[in-house]
Amino acid sequence: MGVIRRAGMFVLQVNPILCDGFGHCAELAPELVHLDEWGYPIIASDPVPMADVGSYQSARYAERGCPRQALHVAKVATPVPITNVDVRPPTTVSRGRRPL
Amino acid sequence: MIALTTPYLWYATRATGIVALLLFTGVVMLGTLVANRVGGTFIGRFEVNEVHRSLSIVAVVFLLLHIITTILDSFVSTGVLASVIPLTSSYKRVPVALGTVAFDLILAVWISSLLKLRLKNQTWRFIHWFSWLAYAISLMHVYTTGTDTHQGIGTLLVLGCAIVVALAGVWRFLGRPTRAAGRTALSPLATPPVPPRPRLPDSVPRDLPRPRVPEDFPKSPPRPPSSRGRR
Repeated sequence: MGVIRRAGMFVLQVNPILCDGFGHCAELAPELVHLDEWGYPIIASDPVPMADVGSYQSARYAERGCPRQALHVAKVATPVPITNVDVRPPTTVSRGRRPL
Repeated sequence: MIALTTPYLWYATRATGIVALLLFTGVVMLGTLVANRVGGTFIGRFEVNEVHRSLSIVAVVFLLLHIITTILDSFVSTGVLASVIPLTSSYKRVPVALGTVAFDLILAVWISSLLKLRLKNQTWRFIHWFSWLAYAISLMHVYTTGTDTHQGIGTLLVLGCAIVVALAGVWRFLGRPTRAAGRTALSPLATPPVPPRPRLPDSVPRDLPRPRVPEDFPKSPPRPPSSRGRR
């Protein structure tokens, strides 16, 4: 059996206006979502590779399980340079990330 | 057909009606638990939500059984139309119409929930409020139409369901948390903020120490005294 490698990356995004801090996302996707001390989610903005199937599945569950539908799994076609490590200026802008 | 002339379909109608009432009572209660943010300790909040969703499917199945057996049954004459359009039944015109209205409302709630990811959340929430109305109307339907609800255990059952859901409604109104309350550090869900680990390129070794919360990270402020109110 061959291994299916998923291409691309995704970002779990939260709409802070819709979010009411139910906290379901932190239970469904603990590897992606941390709660601040008021219970609102803190999600890393770095894209996660789609090959991380567990994280992707968790993100989809969190998107589906959000009582306020404040979560959105955005697919990022091209990898974004990591600015906090890479000293070069970012040359590509990620497509597929919607401004909130 | 023999089956349509035996009383068993009629018994099935009565039985599935009672079971559907009990199941919908459970669904409404679980929905109230989700809305009032119960869970996070011994049971996850998302688990309460999932049980609410799953049980609602079971309840709808029993409701459909209740309606289908009523239509098929020849003991009372209600048409197919009477399951969707109110006041078209020749048997107990108004009481059956109550059930029809409740079924239509439940259909709206059900379909909007199936399409939840495609709807605006406000729209879905507005339609979801109909479930309380549907429950109240279906209780009237149960009491006015029900053969078994006028004596003994049936009356107690209906009364119990009515009281439970009325209390749930009161609690839904009074006990709902404010937008930012109930989620302070006292909340079982709240964890100390952990800075997310930066994603590193492959050239950097992976076994770097995880960033830690500094010792002097500010503690959460005390909970305000009036943490309840309108959202």
